Amino acid sequence: MRFALIGVVALAWEATARSGLWSPLLFPSLERVFNELILFFSRSESLLQAWVSLYRAFAGFALAAVAGVSAGILMGRSRFLASLLDPLFSGTYAVPKLALFPIFIFIFGIGSLSKVALVFLECLYPIVIITYHGARDVNRVLLWSAQNLGAGRGAILRRIVIPAAAPHIFAGFRVALPVAMIVVVITEMISSADGLGYAAMYALSSLKTDRMLAVVVVISLVGLLLDWMLVNLRDRLVYWEKLDTYYV
Amino acid sequence: MPISASAKLALARTGVWLLLLLLWELAWRWGLPQYVLGPLEILKHFFAALGSRELYGHIGASLARALPGFAIGAAAGIALGLAAGVARAFDRMLSPLIFLTYPVPKIVMLPLFMLWFGIGDLSKVLIIALACFYPVFINAYYGVKVTPTILVWSALNLGARQSEIFGRVVVPSALPMIFSGLRVSLALSFIVMFATEMINARSGLGHLIRDAENSLRFDLMYVSLASIAVLGYAGDHLLTFVRGRVLVWHEQPA
Repeated sequence: MRFALIGVVALAWEATARSGLWSPLLFPSLERVFNELILFFSRSESLLQAWVSLYRAFAGFALAAVAGVSAGILMGRSRFLASLLDPLFSGTYAVPKLALFPIFIFIFGIGSLSKVALVFLECLYPIVIITYHGARDVNRVLLWSAQNLGAGRGAILRRIVIPAAAPHIFAGFRVALPVAMIVVVITEMISSADGLGYAAMYALSSLKTDRMLAVVVVISLVGLLLDWMLVNLRDRLVYWEKLDTYYV
Repeated sequence: MPISASAKLALARTGVWLLLLLLWELAWRWGLPQYVLGPLEILKHFFAALGSRELYGHIGASLARALPGFAIGAAAGIALGLAAGVARAFDRMLSPLIFLTYPVPKIVMLPLFMLWFGIGDLSKVLIIALACFYPVFINAYYGVKVTPTILVWSALNLGARQSEIFGRVVVPSALPMIFSGLRVSLALSFIVMFATEMINARSGLGHLIRDAENSLRFDLMYVSLASIAVLGYAGDHLLTFVRGRVLVWHEQPA
């Protein structure tokens, strides 16, 4: 019952594809997409494309995670830093950072570095802002108790602030991780010679719609897999607080 | 005259930012690579471009893609999100599909949309609508779910009909979350608009920046960048303003 609609959509797709109303170039059957998907996983070049995209997304995300959590916690614990950085982050939040990409190409070159830099920048915003809110709203009674028990600044940071902000930190990660994938795919579609975004555009320009859809499926699977891994990691590390969002 | 602590903080903040801008300007005068312009230079080019007609054509073309896409995606997201939040059978049918496709970058559908709907504006508007749909749907859905049960009970007790409960209890209590969804989606619509225009378009700000890149017109690159920044910022503030007007009863979170 839960997956009924997904089944209906798949059936409708298959029926449309087989009706012969549209050319298979525009509307390939699921069978052909599936065959291309198997082909994708059996060829080392296409696996390499997936690896390149994954590597770019992860590199940018990891850098943003380290920088964003540090900056967010510092902002949460220091009013001066917060008043300095908060207007910067909230003021430019709604500005599409993607517009910087052409300039990044000139600065960092056309290879992976410009893409990693853009992923870093886009992921930084949600991580910093959400971590900042988490670190700012730490329960004061906990901080006072720790101080009263003679804990130093380092101990308070490690034992109180970071655990208290951890659910927020992971919420930020969960927003940022799909963003990393999106930015990688977009930048690879705009200018690249490798990666999954490039593979999708290349398949389209050679009118291999079935192959392009297979790439779309691979990108979706990578997105789902990353999200699933992150949620699992979160549930292990932040075991004391349940995640109250919906999952399938 | 004593200065309050918050005024001191604001003063220090402004000082640090002015210092950074000054350093940037000095570094530019001292000799940065050609593709990095100084802040004053960017401002000069931006205001020069504001006086020309060409820039407004690009801005108009961009908005003509982003805003209809946002409107369609937001309307569909609100309608389906509210419906899924209220009707359990509909929720069970629709939500697995939505939440399964949520982490998928919607922009990957652009090549397929280009095949189906052509390389013109229709495919761009539809992909923007698709991207904008998700945040609004999810926020409207959770907005309904967090409606306090006691309000619904009270309304029932006072003899309200189903439609009255929906219109006067459920929707108002979901509105704050719907607005946060709209805010995410509006920013997203500009990002996706820019991406589609950089990938393939003959007008718009994304096209302008690509064109400038190819002809090494760095001034135009920064003009396009400044325009999209201003648009994104203005759109966000407009939406926050509307929210303040609509949600008069709701305390704004900091």
